[in-house]
Amino acid sequence: MNVVEIMTKKLETIEADASLYDAIEKMIDRRIRSLLVKPKDDKDVNGVITVRDIVTKALAKNLDLNKTKVSEITSKPLVCIDKNTDVEYAVNLMSKFNITRVFVNDGREIIGIISLLDVMSAELIKRAKEGHRA
Amino acid sequence: MLERVFFGAKKEQKVIERISKHIQILHAAAECFKKAIEKKESEQMYCVADLEREADSIRREIMSMIYEGAFLPYLRSNICRFVEIVEEAFDLLKEAASEFDYIGQGLDKEIEEDCIQIADRNLQMSDMLLISFETLFSKGDLREKTLAIRIYEKQVDEIKVDLVRKMTEREVKSFWHGKILSDFVSHLTRISNVIEDASDYLLIINVSLR
Repeated sequence: MNVVEIMTKKLETIEADASLYDAIEKMIDRRIRSLLVKPKDDKDVNGVITVRDIVTKALAKNLDLNKTKVSEITSKPLVCIDKNTDVEYAVNLMSKFNITRVFVNDGREIIGIISLLDVMSAELIKRAKEGHRA
Repeated sequence: MLERVFFGAKKEQKVIERISKHIQILHAAAECFKKAIEKKESEQMYCVADLEREADSIRREIMSMIYEGAFLPYLRSNICRFVEIVEEAFDLLKEAASEFDYIGQGLDKEIEEDCIQIADRNLQMSDMLLISFETLFSKGDLREKTLAIRIYEKQVDEIKVDLVRKMTEREVKSFWHGKILSDFVSHLTRISNVIEDASDYLLIINVSLR
């Protein structure tokens, strides 16, 4: 099974200059756990900010959420895999880097995200279908 | 021995076959619905109404056979309720198909993509409902099948949140266009809830057989 078959296409982005408060609002409103951080300029690259980053790097350190910019706690570079990569490889990658989601790219474009929850759901559905017609 | 008492007799076998056929038609209708949205061909939606009529006559057949004495009395109401819930899924699909006929090609691209994703989940769920129903009589693990249905339902919920947000950001062309679009999305997204209810009923039937 390839990652493109089970990835989530819902990708939310945020500007690097936005405040952490904006990021939190967006995550809560859209019910997501990570945001793709846009590059600041042509020389910059995409990054990611997750709920974990906000809790461990900002809330735990009492940073001012309105004054702290997203770029200050963004993780870079992104861990990406090609859309045709096998799911097993993605899981190994997540395990190796101790992360719960990786971005999926088609050439230079990021087209989705795959999380451990997506893998678990897909695996459970596959098992439920086993032994039955396709 | 018990199996024969519960399902083994000719009447019971016939009912089981008809219920299986009923769910197969739901799957066919969901497939036809998905294809029509993908191809943006509202004329293709007529197959949903045709299949719904066919399913309706099978439902009546099932009810008659049950009231003529198929299954032990304490099982009859649960089996009838299961069939009625599947029929509710048909009704919703038919309503959504008829609304799509009005909307035609007026669906916004982003909204259309989400609707296709939901139609796909409805299709997968109807397939899984059939697998679950067959598992009820094959001693397989029914719990893992119903879990798969719940996973699909949660996925539809996620897409729905996004879809409703997108809809609120669009300007409404006219009162009736807005209403029909809203009804279309409402019916389309309720199908997964109803299929989940049907799978819950299978669990109840399974427990009542112990």
